[in-house]
Amino acid sequence: MRPDDRKYMDSHEWAKLDGDTVLVGITDFAVQELSHGNIDDLVYCDLPELGRMIEQGETFGEIESVKAVADLNAPVGGEIVEVNAAIEDHLEILATDPWKQGWMVRIKPTAKSLEHLLDAEAYEQIVTEAQGA
Amino acid sequence: MTGAASSWRLLRTWAVSPELAMGLDEVLLDQVGSPPTLRFYTWEPDTLSLGYFQRFAEVPATAQATRVVRRLTGGGAIHHAGELTFSIAADAAHPLYRGPVAPSYERVHAVVIDALGRHGVSAALRRADAVTSDVAGTGMCFHASTPLDIVWDEAKGVGSAQRRRRGRVLHHGSIKLAASHLETGVARAPQVSPADLADTLLAQMTEQWHGRFDEDDPTADELARAQVLGAATCAEAFLRRR
Repeated sequence: MRPDDRKYMDSHEWAKLDGDTVLVGITDFAVQELSHGNIDDLVYCDLPELGRMIEQGETFGEIESVKAVADLNAPVGGEIVEVNAAIEDHLEILATDPWKQGWMVRIKPTAKSLEHLLDAEAYEQIVTEAQGA
Repeated sequence: MTGAASSWRLLRTWAVSPELAMGLDEVLLDQVGSPPTLRFYTWEPDTLSLGYFQRFAEVPATAQATRVVRRLTGGGAIHHAGELTFSIAADAAHPLYRGPVAPSYERVHAVVIDALGRHGVSAALRRADAVTSDVAGTGMCFHASTPLDIVWDEAKGVGSAQRRRRGRVLHHGSIKLAASHLETGVARAPQVSPADLADTLLAQMTEQWHGRFDEDDPTADELARAQVLGAATCAEAFLRRR
């Protein structure tokens, strides 16, 4: 079971309330999908500039593996107030610790609720279905 | 492929401009919820496409290219000349794309390998084998191989990349048929034309994916939108964004 202290998108981003802000990252499943277990397959991550306003569901960045480019989608709308720039130079963080050190952006949300997102149990079902292919 | 049986849309758009080549693929990528679409095309004039994240300055061949465009997919640069290009746009939940990226490549590449075999080309996945076409410093896709790439004659002959966006996946494939002065030393299959190879690929996909492919043309609305999106992929600011 994945952490239940946060909420999820079916496109495999997570969102965690942290005071007045929301931390956003991608799940271990997203990393596995892109890298297929070989972390060297992740080659580039493009994160947004500070101060950018984004809408819920909007693309805030992109991540590239050897064979695919995937969008990073915002679970909540708001202002980008912090970016984890360490990821851009150390993509291995995403494989070793996607839940804590691997956070990507901190958003000051226009609405603080995460109720529109999936809980851990519902997300687990999405992953199970995807793995059943 | 289990569970892949579905109704497909089929587009053949020969000798298209770089704008239409890339723009129409982006239109198809954005059509979440639409039927899966298989598209075959060739380029006119010959064009060099940069990978989405590539630095312009790291691809010396841009100086010799007739036209340059930046793809939405990643990877290295490709000189689109003497090749069959194909794209497959489908929802991420489609059996072709469900799950990790690597197996989805293997599903697509299995039919490409079989189709090439019908024309006497002994193609296979590279796996752990070494190839002679890998060259450092050119930034070209065909000069950098991975285990999932299709090779023959000890050289890479098919370039592939994917874009995954908002629940839809676009898979690009370039199959080399003729030599290019910007991509020396790569494999090629000169005995078959782009149109004939497209027919063979279609037959393989119909058989192996149990699909029904309905021949269609881009709509006027799709073409108009493709021109706008495609022009952006050729714009100087986008080409030199990195």
